[in-house]
Amino acid sequence: MTTVDALSAPPPAGAVQFLGNEAAYWRLRIKGAGLLLLTLGIYRFWFATDVRRYLWSNTEIGGETLEYTGLATELLGGFLFAIAIVVPLYTAVASAVLALDTAAMAIAAIGFLLLVLLGQFALYRARRYRLTRTVFRGVRFDQHGSAWPYAFYALLWWLLAIVTLGLAYPWAQANLQRYKMRHTSYGDLQGSFAGAGSALFLRGLPVWLLVVGPIAVAFIALARMVDWNALNDLMAQGKGTPLALLVGNSGVAVFAVVAAATGASLVATLALYPLFAAIMMRWWISGLRFGAVTVRSRLATGQVYRIYLRFLLYIVPFIVVAAALGGVSMYLSGALVASNHDSMPAELFMSAITLAIYVVVMLGASTIYQVVVTFAMWRLAAQTAELSGAAALDGVRASGVPDSALGEGLVDALGVGGI
Amino acid sequence: MTTSNALPRGPAVYFDGASSARNDVTVEAGATGLRILAGGEASQNNAQDRVHDRVFDEWAYGDLRRMSAPEGVLRLGRRGETLLARLEIRDPNLAATIEDRAEALDRGGAAERRLRRKIVALSFAAAASLSLTAIFGLPALASRIIPLVPLAVEHRLGAAVDKNIHAALDTRHLGPAFACGAAPSETAGGVALGRLVAKLEAAAALPFPLHVEVVRRAEPNAMALPGGHIYVNDGLIGQAQTPDELAGVLAHEMGHVAHRDGTRTVLQTAGLSFLFGMMLGDFVGGGAVVIAARTVLKSSYSRRVEAAADAYSVDLMEKVGGDPHALGAVLARIVGDKDHGMKLLLDHPETKDRIAAIDAVAATGVTTPLLDAADWSALKQICSPLPAKPAGAAG
Repeated sequence: MTTVDALSAPPPAGAVQFLGNEAAYWRLRIKGAGLLLLTLGIYRFWFATDVRRYLWSNTEIGGETLEYTGLATELLGGFLFAIAIVVPLYTAVASAVLALDTAAMAIAAIGFLLLVLLGQFALYRARRYRLTRTVFRGVRFDQHGSAWPYAFYALLWWLLAIVTLGLAYPWAQANLQRYKMRHTSYGDLQGSFAGAGSALFLRGLPVWLLVVGPIAVAFIALARMVDWNALNDLMAQGKGTPLALLVGNSGVAVFAVVAAATGASLVATLALYPLFAAIMMRWWISGLRFGAVTVRSRLATGQVYRIYLRFLLYIVPFIVVAAALGGVSMYLSGALVASNHDSMPAELFMSAITLAIYVVVMLGASTIYQVVVTFAMWRLAAQTAELSGAAALDGVRASGVPDSALGEGLVDALGVGGI
Repeated sequence: MTTSNALPRGPAVYFDGASSARNDVTVEAGATGLRILAGGEASQNNAQDRVHDRVFDEWAYGDLRRMSAPEGVLRLGRRGETLLARLEIRDPNLAATIEDRAEALDRGGAAERRLRRKIVALSFAAAASLSLTAIFGLPALASRIIPLVPLAVEHRLGAAVDKNIHAALDTRHLGPAFACGAAPSETAGGVALGRLVAKLEAAAALPFPLHVEVVRRAEPNAMALPGGHIYVNDGLIGQAQTPDELAGVLAHEMGHVAHRDGTRTVLQTAGLSFLFGMMLGDFVGGGAVVIAARTVLKSSYSRRVEAAADAYSVDLMEKVGGDPHALGAVLARIVGDKDHGMKLLLDHPETKDRIAAIDAVAATGVTTPLLDAADWSALKQICSPLPAKPAGAAG
């Protein structure tokens, strides 16, 4: 019943392509940013939906594009629903802190933990919303399983990653990705994740050493340089604050070490971030599995560096021009206020101008980042991905039903990630 | 398309929504809908063969829905369809024919643009409406809610604030107690203060029993906490030249107690956080909008609250037979002609406006001082001098 389309040669079954173009995406982003500003953010549900539609429908796998079927009104509804959950929660925590002032700290801590947990819950449910709104070849993706176990699991892994100064991060990622992909399917094709924490650890270790290393070295050096006994004696005698004593004790050398270490770590972070992004992206994409379908990423680190260098090329002139324009309009509006000192409207006008400049600069910078980095990374990730065993995609049976947008709303209301 | 009377048709890809199998089909645009026929263009050249075609489905034009697709592809679904059956048409002529016949497909996107304009207008209206709610609605709403907040809650709130005040302002480390009136040389002053407060309180009908304390702080200021606790700085008593000037300030603070302004501030702050932060301002750079809006609005609420407390002071002073103008006099002495900076951010109305407002409503006439000379001089001594010069920390 299926015949080969004789008119157009089908692309190789495992090829992934990105069909969109940057100019169209610039237009989409700039228009959206303007409307966000005009509506003080209320337009974000429609904006996010437009962006997803564009990215999804231009991502082509084996000759067929993805389709995003979510609606902005669903996101709006999810947000309103989330508000109805989050506001009473905030109120309850605040009232409890107020009512029981002996245990206020404990209650505040529990409240914070609850919100972090709810944040992870939200991220998991938001992923379900997006997957069930992603249609490919007339069959939707799905994510099953309760979000609460995931939230606890994620919280524990993140805590572990933090207390180990990031050394446990690869295993945290591997385990959370495994959890998510184990609960993901495309129709009846079960997903899984094959990326190993140890592989990511070995890849990332040099980066970690160069970023965290200088600070560790500085700590060791400081411990050797400072005469702790003498310092202890001085402090016992109450002769000044620890910081003043440290400086008096070892002089400029201490500051030199601290400055050098922080500087080296900062430089390493900036210089190696694209490498880190490339390692993560390659590892993640290469670990994705759907039944017999495997994915491999041929993403080259140099391509990611090119993206970030291009971002510098855009953002630096933008900031310079924005600063110049901002300076001029501040000067002009300042003169206006000075000339009618007592008038509230002039003050309002000047404040509004200052605010508008700030917001336009922030939105502009974010738009540049979204197009030059995020969009480019999406395109690059697609173009360098390759499927094997794509024949398994031909006989997938549909399953799953669309999920509510509550998770998306919670993500939005809690501010744990953009929609 | 071999004969002129044949229906427009062309190649398409069909997914039946039950499986991911890709079906190359021929789509025929009929009078009322599309017929989806098995087999690609190659096998459809001969229209006579159509009887052998397997018909996958027939979709009425009215049911067609445009789904998001890359440029150059018309992706169709069916309205109200729970399955995700899809038809993808790349042939521009066929796509144009279908778009012409199915009005719901919104050829050219005019309907979609209209809808978008409406959404933008509605979102803008919502943002404006929420902003106006913050300016006018919130203070009114707070006034309605305040009577519903149990006094016990405000009392607890006051206790919590009191703890912070003590942590921030207590001058005990300088020697004498923070509160004045307890040392033997101060008791006469304490008694005089009690007399003055009792006179005012009897006329005031406050929701809380008052608890007025004079504390060792140099700044000429006084404040009312939620729950009826009033702190009067020693520095203010130093600046007051008559008992009525002190009484005027006390009456102003009692106005805050009577209006339950502690609870009001909490309610207004919570409402503002909800409107600016949760409902509005959730976009990159929006944080600045949120902070600016909250700051300006809080100052504006505060100015209104202070003006109301001034009016209350005038009223109360008239009731007890004191000089209602005295508050203005002491304000003028304390604040003088200090420059205020931005009007937009003032949490009190400008002093000259306050004095003008007080003088405008206060009755004129000769009044007798609320305390006799002996009591007033005792009250002036309520705080025995500090052994060392007090540190002038900002309040």
